[in-house]
Formats: sequence, structure tokens, C-alpha cells
Amino acid sequence: MVAGTLVAAAGTYQIAGLLLDREHRGLNVSATLAEPAHFSSLESGLLVLCLVGSATLFFRRFGPILRNILRSKKDADFSLSPVGRRVWEFFSEVLCQSKVIRQRPLPGLAHAFVFWGFLAFALVSLNHLANGVGLGFLAPESIVGRFYFLFAAAWALLVAVSIAGLFIRRFFVRPIWLGEKLSYESGWIAFLIFLLMVSYLGAFFVSDAGMAVKALWWTHTLALVVFLPLIPHTKHLHLVISPVTVFLKRDGFSKIPPLAGDEDFGLVAGKDVTQLISLQAYSCVECGRCTEHCPAANTGKVLNPKEIVLGVRSYLNEFGPSSETPLLAESRGAAPTDAHQRLLSMEAAFECTTCGSCEYQCPVGIQHVPIIVGLRRGATNTGAWEDDYGTKLFLALEKHGNALGLGAMERDKFIQKQAFPIFDGTQEYCLWLGCMGGYDPKGREIIADFARVMQYLGTTFGVLKKEKCTGDPARRLGNDLVFQTLAESGLKAFETAKVQKIVAICPHCVRTIANDWREFGVAPEIEHHSEFMARHKDRLPKQGGESIVYHDPCYLGRYQDVYEEPRAVVALAGSLVEAPRSHERSFCCGAGGGLAFLGEEQGERVSHVRAKELAGTGAEVVGTACPFCNTMFRDALTAVSEAPPQLLDIAQLTARAIPASQKEAGGVQ
Amino acid sequence: MKIVVAIKQVPERDAQVRVAADGKWIDESDLSYTINEPDAYALEEALQLKEKSGAGEVVVVCAGPERVQSTLREALAKGADRAIHIEADDLGSLDTLGVAQLLADAVKAESPDLILTGLQSDDLGLGQTGVVLAELLDIPHATIIMHVEATSAGLKVKRELEDGWFQYVEMPLPALLTIQSGGNKLRYATLMGIKKARTKELKTVAAPAQVRAAAVTLERVYLPEKQKKTEMLTGSPTEVAAKIVDKLKFEARVI
Ligand code: SF4
Ligand code: SF4
Repeated sequence: MVAGTLVAAAGTYQIAGLLLDREHRGLNVSATLAEPAHFSSLESGLLVLCLVGSATLFFRRFGPILRNILRSKKDADFSLSPVGRRVWEFFSEVLCQSKVIRQRPLPGLAHAFVFWGFLAFALVSLNHLANGVGLGFLAPESIVGRFYFLFAAAWALLVAVSIAGLFIRRFFVRPIWLGEKLSYESGWIAFLIFLLMVSYLGAFFVSDAGMAVKALWWTHTLALVVFLPLIPHTKHLHLVISPVTVFLKRDGFSKIPPLAGDEDFGLVAGKDVTQLISLQAYSCVECGRCTEHCPAANTGKVLNPKEIVLGVRSYLNEFGPSSETPLLAESRGAAPTDAHQRLLSMEAAFECTTCGSCEYQCPVGIQHVPIIVGLRRGATNTGAWEDDYGTKLFLALEKHGNALGLGAMERDKFIQKQAFPIFDGTQEYCLWLGCMGGYDPKGREIIADFARVMQYLGTTFGVLKKEKCTGDPARRLGNDLVFQTLAESGLKAFETAKVQKIVAICPHCVRTIANDWREFGVAPEIEHHSEFMARHKDRLPKQGGESIVYHDPCYLGRYQDVYEEPRAVVALAGSLVEAPRSHERSFCCGAGGGLAFLGEEQGERVSHVRAKELAGTGAEVVGTACPFCNTMFRDALTAVSEAPPQLLDIAQLTARAIPASQKEAGGVQ
Repeated sequence: MKIVVAIKQVPERDAQVRVAADGKWIDESDLSYTINEPDAYALEEALQLKEKSGAGEVVVVCAGPERVQSTLREALAKGADRAIHIEADDLGSLDTLGVAQLLADAVKAESPDLILTGLQSDDLGLGQTGVVLAELLDIPHATIIMHVEATSAGLKVKRELEDGWFQYVEMPLPALLTIQSGGNKLRYATLMGIKKARTKELKTVAAPAQVRAAAVTLERVYLPEKQKKTEMLTGSPTEVAAKIVDKLKFEARVI
């Protein structure tokens, strides 16, 4: 915003110079804004009539929306704190337009100019209308007036250019993310904004008397009057509500709210839609940023996060927030009767990897993951979701307490074979194996190597005698019964063993234990092995030049903001190569949200798309920091590449340089 | 149709089972329990029969100490309508007939159209309780059932025979079937089911003070003893083969 203001100030100066220069040459241009000298009472009356009409139309359309939002169920877990962070995000995301610009620089900047221009114009517009009833408060000849109107003129220029640019983008460049259908309303609105700016700027070129200034004044007024009622039923509603949405959004990334009371099973019907969800659904500007980054939407799945949001909106418009009509349609029929049914399907809801790209991208603070997981909860907690793989997973978790459905004995055998000490309170860390580390062959290799790194560093650790899944896949698939049972049993296990600090190789485990379990108790401090190794990097062996491309796991990057630590570890093992999409823009491996257990995908495999991208960097090694990403890429890399790069977890990258004498005897099994 | 499902609670599949100090039973402390797997399929079959017909009632019954109530609650959560808990603290001291007698007493009062139970239990694996129960109630039974279909005359059931063979049997009602695992897909327990189960009836009935003395008693419980008796035979292949034949004939006496 500061930059914008500077640009505007510079512009003001230039325009002032330009106008003064023209004046010199005897043109009828002045550095002061022309205002009609007099309004007849008929004119004033007409103005009032227009304004009242415009406001009435606005509220007639906005009223039902506001009512839908306010009548939605209260968010049981909502709290305004931390206010500081909310204020900061409002400042950064709304006032400075940071997200809008950072994620799409050119159109983002154009949008920011329009937005800041609107802010600068607020005073101008108010004075403009006040003039019409003889109450103008900012005289163009006064010092403040002179300056302010010129300042606004600079903005008007920027807005006019920006809106023209955005118009060209939408109607001629047509990026697919904006949707196939052209929105003529958007074109109409762009025209009105352009008209507003031009009619304002024009007033610098005419004198106070005469027809021209009146004509400009009325053009400006009418553009305003027509603009207002167009807001509520178009995506321009975001002008009014998205600042509120950004300020009020749920605290925490992808936070799944607790269920409230005995009748709450998630998002089953309209009656379950909360105020925050309603507010968010009405805030969508249909920019398609969420879709652009969605792994499902990009690989031919039914799911499109924007449609989920718009689906909730059309549901609310059609049925209202107290309806019992189910939100999710069984599947997308050939000719769905309701608009919302076309958008919200069971199939789509269960294709989400919960990667969080959509939520991260959304410029108006819409939180997709809680909505999508909410829809899944509604389907799973009531038994409406019937899926052979899903049922198998839930039964495995119910019965065996691990997602792979193997007997707990298998884990015991592995621990014995590795001679891992059992945690007894004397060791510093509890090493959490997780389902992958405890049961999956590749996961076991990673755990064994990480254990070697810990031994090399002389850090003491022990493993829990019995360990069950954190409940992550159940949580993301909306099975609260299984999730709660596992979370409670896990908390108890830590408490009984008196664990103080945990370290884990799986970002899903870390996130679930540190964050999702909070609903049921306080878990010991937990960290990801990347953080542990990065902290000790000075004592870990440094290796030479192999090129390693690092893949950011969704649950480590976007979910936990851990980007640099794993890179520090990779940099020890070779030379770090960045993937085309990295850090918070990393593209999912396809495993999250329980999808690793749900069988074959529709369309192209997400893992193949990402594996191609990683192999395409030409790096010799793909470095991962999540056992799920690792499994997904194992097959994908061989499928997409003739000579696939090596695939190693950061623990393996580190352990391979540890002198052999330091390594434990005995292979992994 | 009114269906009673007789279920049993058994130690979890991968539980570390230890022999009790007196050597007469297993040490029950520290064990977690679950529904006997074939009984889970029996319950599923009952629920599906009810869902298909759109009417009827599914009543689950289980004998055992108080802990079996958790398994009954789970059955209610999966969709059973009512549950009956027959209080019996010491099932281990009863033989099959004794257990079947307990069940028969409780079931008789319900006069169901159909009784389902798993074909055998995961812990003892005797496979008799269902059959004996049918005899005590004097109703026909069929065992190792994979599929049940209600017909106008009664039932048509698919029995598993050996070697991939099946047998279709038509039978009248009331009847008892023992159900094989794997015939259906089990359903997962849901939060809504658990919450509904809280309001469903779980009736506790006391076991008769003295049941008949057990005809079969348990002598000793022990883990299979490891006997490592490997003998290496040496010589040329012909000699070794001759020695093997010799041993199979005279030591193992299998040929
Ligand atoms: S949900 Fe957000 S990111 Fe997606 S289209 Fe709407 S405003 Fe854009
Ligand atoms: S979380 Fe990821 S997979 Fe799910 S809708 Fe959003 S972008 Fe798509």
C-alpha cells in the first residue's frame, strides 16, 4: 500500500505539473476540479430519489444474504482472539493486498490499484453527492481540496488503466481459471468503474459553469447509482463482505472445528452450515486461484474447490441455513435438478487430498479444508459414505489401530529386530514410529536411518511399547468416532509413559498430534525430524555435490510453515535444487486426506504429475520429508521416467554419510 | 422378521495371550476384547436382512461378565435395535451345552423368527454353540452360511462346502443359521450410530443360579510347546531318499 501511495503521490505531482503547463498554454484546463455551481431543488430531489432507489435495490438484494449469514448456526469454537494477528492479517491481506499481489503479481497489482483507488475515492464520492444537495464540504479551491482532488485524480488514472487491463485479461486473454463462461456482469461493472474515473477526470478539463460540468456530474452520479445495486448478487459482493471475512476467518490453517453437541455430525444439511462458512461462501470472487493450484482439479477429478464454495452458496440461496435437505448429492447426475447438486457431490468431497493449496491461495480468506472435511464428516459420521476402501481403512483402524491393517505384533517384531529401546522416561526423546515407520517397509528404512542419526548425535530415545495411528486418515475422511478413540488412546499412552518430547518422521503425525489432538487433551511437545536434524546440522557430516531436488510435503510446508529446516538438511547432503513449484506453492503427492488408502484415482494420478515435475529438474536425487510422499513417488518416478532419480528421505540422505562403524548392525525388515 | 443374533466377546486378534497362574484359563487382566469375527458377519447379515425387508427387529444377545456390554453397545451402534446381556462371570467354567443353555433361556422369551450366530469363536473355535442352541430350541439349523435370502416359504441359504463347492438349501422358519466370515462386507461404526446406541435398550438378565454341571471340563491351558527335532540326513540323493521313505514308514508311520 505504501508503494501504491508513493506511486499516487508521484502521479499527483506529475498531473499537477501537466495541468499547470497546459494552463500556461492557454488551454481550458485547470489544476482544480470543476464543480457545478448550483443545483436546482428539482435536481437535488432527483438525486435523493436516485440514491434512495439505489440503496433500496441494494438492500433488497443484500438483505437476504445478510439474513442467511446471520441465521446460520453459530460457530461454537469461534473466538476473536488473537486480535493482534487478526488486525495484522487485515492490514496485510486487505489493506496491503499482500496475498492478491504475491500470488498473481500483474493482475494482483491491477486489482490493488483499483482497491486503493476506491479507498482514495471514498471522500471524493461523499463530497460529490453532498454537493448535489448543497452540502459539499471539500472546496476544490481550498488547499486541502486542491491537493486531495489531484491525489484522487492520480488514483483515478491508475484505476482506469488497471480496470481496462483487467477487462482485457478477462475478456480477451481469458485464463481458464476464471471459468469457461464469460461473466458479462463483470464487463458491465468494469465499464461502470471506468466511467466513474473518466467522468471524474473530465471535470478537470471544464469550467464550473455550463452544461459540460453538469453532464459530467450526472454521469458520475448515475454510474454510482447503478453500481451499488449490482454489488450484492454478483461476485462484487466481496467489496462489502470480504474485508469482514478476512478479519473473522477461523484461526489456524486448515483447522477442523470441534463438533458441537450430540446432534452435530458435520455438514449434513443447511442447518449445519455455520456463520463463518456462510460468510465465506458469499465472499468468493470466483477468481479461481484455488482451482488453479488444486491437485484434484488439475488431474481430471470431479473436485473443484471453487465449485464447492459456490455450491454452498447456491444451496444457501435455494434452501436457506435451516434446511434439512442434504448438502451432498450422491453423485453428479447427468441432469442434476439443483444448482448446488451439480457443484456439491459426494464424489468430489472425497477426492480432496486436503493439501490446503486452495485455502492458502484464497485472497478473501475462504477456508476450504474445514468445509470439505466438514462435508466428509457429514457423510462418514452418519454412514452415508459407502466405499469399500474407506470401510476397510476404518475397520483396520478400529481393530488393529493402524492404517495398514497389520497386527500389532508386526511392529513389535520390527522394534526387536532394530533393538530400539522402549521409552521408560530416562531417554530424552520418544521416537514416534507412526503407521508408515512401524509397518511399511520403506517407512521402516526411514525410521531406522533416523534412529542411526540420533545415535550418531548421542541423543537418547525410546519408542512406545504400543502405539496406535494418530487418527490422521480418519480425521481427514470425516470419521470422528475413530479419530477421537485413537486421539484419546494416544494421549493416554504418552501420559502413562511420561513422555516429554516427541520426534517423528511423518508430518501428518506431527500435525495431528500437535494440533488436532488438542480437542481432547494436551500432547507432549512434538517436532518433525527435519527440525531436529536442522538444529544439529553443525554436527552432521557434510557431503559433496550430488544434486537433490526437495519436495515440500503439504503437511510440513503449508500446514506447519516448515520450509527451511529440511532444506538445511538437504544442503548438507548435496546441492539443493528447487522444484518449479516449491515452498507454499508445492504440488501435492496425492496421498493426503486419507487418499493414500482409497484405491485408484479418476483421471491422471496426482503423484505422476508431481513426479514428472521433480524428475524434470534433472536432479540426481529426489529428497522427501514425509513417508507418504515417499511411497507415492516410489512407483510414480519409475512410471514417468526412463532413468528415475534416486528417492531418499532426508533422514536417509543424512544417515548415508555416517561412518559405517557408527551404524547399527542388522538390516531393516 | 424378528432376528436374534447371538454374539461372543473374544480377546483382540493380536492380543498377547498369557496363561493364567492356575493354568486353567488365560490371564484376562490387560486384555482388550472385541466382537468375535464370524459373529460380526452374523450381525451384518441380520442388519442387511432387516434393511432389505424394510421392517423387523434385530436383537443382539451376549453372555459374559460386565465387559461384554461394550461389544453389545457396538452392535447397537452398528444398527441392532435392542441388546440382552446375560450375566455370567465365569464362562470358562461352562461347556458348550452350558453356554447354549444360557442363550436358549434368553432367546426363548423373544420367540424370534431367525437366530444367527457366527460359525465358531475366535478363541475356542469349537463351532458347536449354534448347533446345540438350535437343538435346545428345537428348530432347524444350517451351518457355514455365506448368503441368506428370505423367500415366501422361509429361507434360501448358501452353504460353504469344501474345495470351492457350495450348497443351496431351502428351509422353513423359525430357524438358526451359523454364519461364515466374509460373506458380506462389514460396515464401519459411526458417530451417529454410537450416539443413537446410547438411547437403545440394553437389558441385563441374570444367569440361572445353577446350571448343570459341565460334562466337559478344561484340564490345562498351555502354549504350544516348541519341539525342535531336526535331523539332517546325509549321503547321495538316492541314499537320502531311501532314508526319508524309511522314516516316513516306520517312524512317522504316514505311508
Ligand atoms: S474460493 Fe477463494 S480462491 Fe477460490 S475462487 Fe473463490 S475467492 Fe478465488
Ligand atoms: S485441499 Fe488441495 S485437493 Fe483439496 S480442494 Fe483444496 S487444493 Fe484441491
